[in-house]
Amino acid sequence: MRQTARFAIAAIALACSVVTASTSASADDTIRFGAILPLTGPGAVIGTEQMRGIQFATDKANAAGGVRGHKIEVVFEDNQAKPDQSILSFNKLADLQKMPLIFTAYSGPSLAMAPLATRKKVLLINAGAQADKLATASPYLVNTLPTIGDEVKAISRYLAGQGKKQAAILYENDAAGIAGRDDYVKYFPETGGTILAQEPTAFGQTDYRPALLKLADAKPQVMLVSITAGLLQMAQQYKQLGLKFTVAGTTFFSDPDTIADPSSEGFVHTQVRIDAPPALDAEFKKKYGVPMEFFVKQYYNAMQIVLTITDHLLAEGKPLTGENMHDELFKIGKFQGLIPLEFKTNTATVPLDINEMKGGKDVTIKQVSSE
Amino acid sequence: MLALQLACNGIVTGCALGVVAISFSFIYATTKLFHVAHAGVYTLGGYLAWAMLRQGLPTPIAFLVSIACCTVLGALIQWQLYARLERRRATHLVVLIASLGALAVIQNIIAAVFTANILLFDLPWGSRVIHLGGDVRLTMTQLLTVAASLLAYAALMLFSHGTILGKQIRAVASNPFLAEITRLRPRRTHIYVMAIASALVCLPGILTPLDLGLQPYNGITPLLTATIAMIAGGVGSITGAFVLAVVITELQNLSLLVIPGEWSIGVTFFIFVIFMLFRPTGLFAAAR
Amino acid sequence: MDFWFSYVALASIYVLLGLSTNLLVGIAGIFSVSQAAVFGVGAYIVAFFLMNDILSFLPALAIAAAGCIALNVLVTLPALRVSGDYFVVTSFGIQLLATAIFTNWTAGTGGANGLPGIPPADLFGKALEDTSSMVMLCVGGMILGGLVFWLVMRAPFGRLLRAIREDELAVAATGKSVLRAKVSAAALAGAFAGTAGGLYATFLSFIDPSSFDLDSSILLLTMVVVGGARTLAGSVLGPFLLLALPQILTLIDIPTTIAAAMRQLIYGVLLIAFMLFRPQGLAGERL
Repeated sequence: MRQTARFAIAAIALACSVVTASTSASADDTIRFGAILPLTGPGAVIGTEQMRGIQFATDKANAAGGVRGHKIEVVFEDNQAKPDQSILSFNKLADLQKMPLIFTAYSGPSLAMAPLATRKKVLLINAGAQADKLATASPYLVNTLPTIGDEVKAISRYLAGQGKKQAAILYENDAAGIAGRDDYVKYFPETGGTILAQEPTAFGQTDYRPALLKLADAKPQVMLVSITAGLLQMAQQYKQLGLKFTVAGTTFFSDPDTIADPSSEGFVHTQVRIDAPPALDAEFKKKYGVPMEFFVKQYYNAMQIVLTITDHLLAEGKPLTGENMHDELFKIGKFQGLIPLEFKTNTATVPLDINEMKGGKDVTIKQVSSE
Repeated sequence: MLALQLACNGIVTGCALGVVAISFSFIYATTKLFHVAHAGVYTLGGYLAWAMLRQGLPTPIAFLVSIACCTVLGALIQWQLYARLERRRATHLVVLIASLGALAVIQNIIAAVFTANILLFDLPWGSRVIHLGGDVRLTMTQLLTVAASLLAYAALMLFSHGTILGKQIRAVASNPFLAEITRLRPRRTHIYVMAIASALVCLPGILTPLDLGLQPYNGITPLLTATIAMIAGGVGSITGAFVLAVVITELQNLSLLVIPGEWSIGVTFFIFVIFMLFRPTGLFAAAR
Repeated sequence: MDFWFSYVALASIYVLLGLSTNLLVGIAGIFSVSQAAVFGVGAYIVAFFLMNDILSFLPALAIAAAGCIALNVLVTLPALRVSGDYFVVTSFGIQLLATAIFTNWTAGTGGANGLPGIPPADLFGKALEDTSSMVMLCVGGMILGGLVFWLVMRAPFGRLLRAIREDELAVAATGKSVLRAKVSAAALAGAFAGTAGGLYATFLSFIDPSSFDLDSSILLLTMVVVGGARTLAGSVLGPFLLLALPQILTLIDIPTTIAAAMRQLIYGVLLIAFMLFRPQGLAGERL
């Protein structure tokens, strides 16, 4: 028993020393920011895009001599898209490494960190998640893309204009999917529409047939969709079942495989506009071997905003604290990154497109704004 | 009309689940092992077939190679893991935990090699739609699933009752001790059983993802539902397991007419938990 | 050094859960993959009372513990009625059912969105705002839990439980109630899980169903198996080691996209290896 206890203490000591070793940081005049993204697990594909966007912007800034002579470094933490891991990472970055600003993604983790951000005055920059609650979760949480609600308002107005007022909702039974569902229920009727039926599917469950059949039975003119995975399967099963109603959605629809598939012909959706100049796109492709996807652009754009704020603060000689960065962001207000965007509230106003999938391509049919 | 369409879908899903149930039941009745890692074999079958097709193998060959690999894997798990544990007189709990470990290993090797994203088979014939009177439409894959599942069920029944090996297996299942002294060598029989069951579970393992896409962590829910079918159908009864699998899936599908879909899995397990409290021996317990 | 605090606080909470799982699986011999569900119920109960400002922390925690005692007894009842293997399915079923409820009962649990902004714990009218006092609370909870566990296992009741594991029939033959002993063990396990849930909810200030799913239950089982069944040292060792494992893995250079799978893979390998070569875990007794 005593040997066991000694062994236990040794093992714990080992674990502790490893934890310490992996968290030590050095100090020089490099400016450090944090980023808490899902780098492993099911969210890793998107998380990696987001990381590349930030890293790409950082590398370009450093190659150009940094911000007023200071090198920029972003420390990436993996939260596996889980709220509890995010809190641990947040404490590590905010308390141990005294970082004034942290990038975040995904609604659950961002909402979990928001109260801590308020308490510790750390600026959280979200360029990925779109749950409505993010808009009001914390004065220190800033969103560089519109919430689902803003997109839903836009698509609802468009559909009403097309005379499609009888709708059914297909949604994924998780935070992002339900947020979309709630918005459809709230905003679609405001444009004169009616919701006839709604049906959930479990995340990762790709048999949409029962749900599609049940929704089809309500005879809608349009099906409003709020799912983040399995879009292609949904499109194919919709086609196989010979359904005829219009399918509408939000930026979640921008999945290249689905757009290329013939079964998605005629799907309409809102799309947060973000364009990269061809030269930048080519440079990125040369470096990483893949095109600049949506979230790469979003986080590249967000990092540019951060660099602008940093530059302004350094010029004014103010210390880089979370509070100063927060105030400066709203003082500057309008930013021109990859797209023009403006902060009237914590959520940026950005241009939105209405797209339709035609012949394997996503074609813009109308341009609106996210207000 | 909706009910008919839902029912047809239920039969497809139910038949696939039925094969999972009979293969699991075959193992459980003989070895008395709660082989959770069976879910891993089920998932692996689909991924192997996908990889073979990627390599350019013709479809039937790809499927057969995948089934062969799973057969070997099943035998290997029995021979290298369960048999070893049994020799050390491990309790059922220990074997179960080891099996959970094996499941985690298989699933995560798949996730590491193929990523956790949904993968799709690229077989155009599979998604061709067949109209079956009324509004009922099924794809080739779905029809194939029903045919293959019924065939697998018939084959297992024939094998179990008509061949010498099948009879030996049933003998070992009904009394391992007696089988041992009549030189039936239960240990070797157990390996055969695992091999056969793993080959069987490969069928739905390939055909279901052919329709719905592959995901590394999707094996556990079908396995648990299949286990419920096995218990409710009476352990040891192949027909009971198959029929109950179809019945349960039908109930889940048709329940959509009355309750919102997010509760259908919850309801299945709720009924089961209640069932276990009041009638733990199953509906058709006589076959024991 | 708040990060350090986070690790210690979470590990302390998991030690309580480890004790709970150990009581059920290791000592009472009731296989359970649904301890995370009970843990979740404790967390949601405390969150409910604190967020609606109905009770202060300690009474809320007491109600959570009581609720979890009742729940744990209820969910282990089938185990006492049906044979081991059948209960395995029931236990999986209970876990999946619980996840369905946590996810779908939006009014009570916030659904898949979870509950953000749970107020910090308070003791005797004083809120524990900063992390260090919260850590003290968690560590205090762990020490108290460990002490209870140690005392119980030394008491006649603990000896009875051990005897049941050795030979259930013999114990029944001496006129002791096996059923009552097992139900009591399950009740104690529920109290531990409920307390852990309450601490977790107030420490993280956010809960959602993903913290209480099947994977978490299996992680708990892994902690007990690695640490070692039926001993206090094992229940402490397992959580501290396994929570440090992700940090250790960051030192090894593996592609990020497969890192989560690798971590789960290692849990799997650990389970198999321990069962094959060291069923008593690092510091426990034979399962």
